[in-house]
Amino acid sequence: MIALIRNEWMKIFARKSAWVYMLLIVAFVLIAALFYNKVYGKDDPNWRTKIEKEIKADEALMKKDPEQYADLAPTIQKNQDYLKYNINPDAHSNWHFMNNVVIPLGSFVTLFSVIVGSANVSSEFASGTIKQLMIRPHARWKILLSKYIAVTAYAVLLLAVLLIAGYLIGLLFQGSGSFHMKMIENTVGDSQYKIKEIGPQFFLKFALYLPSLVMVSAIAFMLSTLFKSQALAVGIGIFALFITNTLGGIILFLMNRYHWLKFLIFPHLDLSVYAYQDKLTDGVTLPFSLITLAVYYVVFMTLTFWYFQKRDIAF
Amino acid sequence: MSEMALSVKGITKQIRSRKIVDQVSFEVKKGEVFGLLGPNGAGKTTIIRMIVSLMKRTSGEIFINGKSLDKDFKGALNEIGAIVENPEFYPYMTGYQNLVHYKRMSRKPVSEERLWEVAKLVKLEDALKQKVKTYSLGMRQRLGVAQAILHQPSLLILDEPTNGLDPQGIREFRGYLRELAGSGVSVLVSSHLLSEMELMCDRYAIIEKGKLIHIETMAETTTVKQDDRRDILFATDDSESAKQTVEKQLHFPVSIVDDTRILVSAAYKDAAVINATLVGSGCNVYEIHFEKKTLEDRFLELTNHTTGEENQ
Repeated sequence: MIALIRNEWMKIFARKSAWVYMLLIVAFVLIAALFYNKVYGKDDPNWRTKIEKEIKADEALMKKDPEQYADLAPTIQKNQDYLKYNINPDAHSNWHFMNNVVIPLGSFVTLFSVIVGSANVSSEFASGTIKQLMIRPHARWKILLSKYIAVTAYAVLLLAVLLIAGYLIGLLFQGSGSFHMKMIENTVGDSQYKIKEIGPQFFLKFALYLPSLVMVSAIAFMLSTLFKSQALAVGIGIFALFITNTLGGIILFLMNRYHWLKFLIFPHLDLSVYAYQDKLTDGVTLPFSLITLAVYYVVFMTLTFWYFQKRDIAF
Repeated sequence: MSEMALSVKGITKQIRSRKIVDQVSFEVKKGEVFGLLGPNGAGKTTIIRMIVSLMKRTSGEIFINGKSLDKDFKGALNEIGAIVENPEFYPYMTGYQNLVHYKRMSRKPVSEERLWEVAKLVKLEDALKQKVKTYSLGMRQRLGVAQAILHQPSLLILDEPTNGLDPQGIREFRGYLRELAGSGVSVLVSSHLLSEMELMCDRYAIIEKGKLIHIETMAETTTVKQDDRRDILFATDDSESAKQTVEKQLHFPVSIVDDTRILVSAAYKDAAVINATLVGSGCNVYEIHFEKKTLEDRFLELTNHTTGEENQ
């Protein structure tokens, strides 16, 4: 088994693209850092007085016409919390960078994992080398498993590149910040917010990103095995990745009427909302999402391995 | 250890209601080169794919070196080296990396020395550090041989191995095959190129429409018994008068090849009589030639085809 995984690993890295994707991730982090620096500039040392002014202005408006400006109350409350917990809303540090830039860039890790993962199986069929693999004294499922492990390891490597590049480049451009610095995290649905520590919040988001990476990669891996077509696998994989935000919103909206919709895979492919709120909608909590994804994962993998084990290779 | 390198027992492949391979049985002895002959689409490739486990059997058993493919899958496959159709490689890796890849997949340990020894045998040691995409077709074919024999299999399986090779490549390939068979490796080779098979095989089976219709040795095919009729070619001054002489006096069937040559269908010992008769009746004989029976003749005789290879 180790020998098989080493083979797959060798094949992944024998292609230039494997290295290019890693470099691209570093490049994206760098470009993002340049923009981030330009847009947000430097820390304002007098942020407290600025917020105090804002509060006073808002309070004055409230007094003048309480009915019209009643919605300012949460803003005032939020600004007061900024002062109370000593949170600079425009603060800069590598941890802010990690939270605001590195997490969204995770999509590229998914994208490249999908490309490499689906190419791994489908290219063996396209080039005919699959025959050479199958006539060796190894069970078919082990050959497929070794491919899956190698591809997963590559995804982990891409993640490591993203994390390390994000941390170092963030440090370089934004300076070092405290891991336990407080921050305000807005929730999605209502205008509520929570006060979180920035470092743990980053790792929470990161952890919530992982299931979607695993699922989207698994879908691409399955499709490339079932249909032998990389184009199809990458296409649907990317589609699943990007449609989740759009379709996820619609499904979320419809879920209140049609409860069975919560068993679809789509609303669960993006778990990042759980970083801000406890439930997606009534009855859909993080454990529910994770269990749903786990069931889909088992079904996908069973289908993939079962089909690969029994199919005839005749072409 | 079994006496047979490969023993195929009644294998059948049925796809829906159609039997692509129907109850095929044969055996390959140790050190023998065994050919599977048949027109395209007869089922040769399907038989080979079932032996190397690329396809599942509907029924039947396969033993490789006495090991059952069903009961001892890994053991049985470890005895096999194969080139199924074109030898396929990872073009973006070097020849060396490709060989290391297959070396790691063997269950017998293969040493680094063995890898280079095989590379040397197929004359690729200088090109081994180049990427396979730079290789010519002949070099790929040689690399194909290298990967197939790397783990010293006892049975080599080759499906249409000379497809796309130039005459020199084919000749070279035949050389490797003979060398391997000489060292005790058994070879199962399939092809629709009869002239090629004639030069390669010790024994062959003819497959037609999924059925094995005949097995015999190449020696049986090409040697003609003393009393059997065969074509004997006589070169004389004038074919017309020679034909009349032989037909009238000896009653052998005669056909005219051209102005000076005729073909007489007669037994070996009759040649002397015909010669004497021709010379006696004033017809000078310049050349007597016994036409050898070819595999092609035999193949067409057995399959009753008039256009052999074109038939599906």
